[in-house]
Amino acid sequence: MKLKVTRNILTANEKIAEGNQKIFADAGVFVLNLMSSPGAGKTTLLEETIKRIKDRVKVGVIEGDIAGEDDAIRIDALNVPVVQINTGGACHLDANMISSVLDDLPITALDLLVIENVGNLVCPAEFKLGEQMKVAVLSITEGHDKPLKYPVMFQESGALVISKIDLKPFLDVDVEKIRRDAVSLNPSIRIFEVSCKTGEGLDAWVAWLLTTIS
Amino acid sequence: MHEVSIAESLLDVAVDNCRQSGHTRINSIQVLIGKASGVMPEALLFAFDSMKEDTIARDATLDIVEVPLRGHCNVCGKDFEVEDRYVLACPNCGGLQYTVSSGRELTIAEMEVE
Repeated sequence: MKLKVTRNILTANEKIAEGNQKIFADAGVFVLNLMSSPGAGKTTLLEETIKRIKDRVKVGVIEGDIAGEDDAIRIDALNVPVVQINTGGACHLDANMISSVLDDLPITALDLLVIENVGNLVCPAEFKLGEQMKVAVLSITEGHDKPLKYPVMFQESGALVISKIDLKPFLDVDVEKIRRDAVSLNPSIRIFEVSCKTGEGLDAWVAWLLTTIS
Repeated sequence: MHEVSIAESLLDVAVDNCRQSGHTRINSIQVLIGKASGVMPEALLFAFDSMKEDTIARDATLDIVEVPLRGHCNVCGKDFEVEDRYVLACPNCGGLQYTVSSGRELTIAEMEVE
């Protein structure tokens, strides 16, 4: 017999994401899903951000990578709780992976939980994890055409951090075009230009982050 | 790019629905895949066929219906439909603020069960 179903295939993921969201809300923790292509500087931005805010807010981190523990080791060195998820090949984190590590973090003691997604400009934007906000990182070495080539990530994000801005004198990249296209795709996106090497722009980013999570 | 996870979720949802309806075998599944969903039909078919073996859908065929990408432009106010897998700007006026009305579906429409 024929069975009419009309069910979203990602229903399972979205249900678990809603469950995660409830756990986070009950625990009073703000959850941020940090996304970018590989090598844009997510972990470095996270390190510099944690150094500046850890005396004021309690931060925890979930690191998502296909393999390896390098990122978790870097975050652990800052003395904040961190859990590493290895996706074993999957190109993105999903809600179930997050749900399965929540017991390993002191969720109720945290003010901010940052989930660093697998480096990839495509898939992470499609899978909800239970976060309150997505933040995209784009390094200027990737070129100014990226927002229009990978629109979903920029449409879904509350903020865009344009990183490695100290390299601007050496590149032909049009940073204004990145800003223009990101705003065209998402008029409410907040944009920060930062360099984790020189520290430029980090104060503005950190100030906005602290206001947003409070 | 993530067709294996999609196939896994698809099988979970299909098997759940089949069992809930009191049936024990799935013969076919029809899915609606939006052209802008980022899912390649050939890759999904391949992943589905590799993962269905140990399930009650082991003999099931997967029928993929592609849904075109349609939207409404918030700049010129017109509706549009494109052949591509993505839309960068409204084909009428070039505006970048648009709402996608179809084309991102990942939905099971119906199944043949017994």
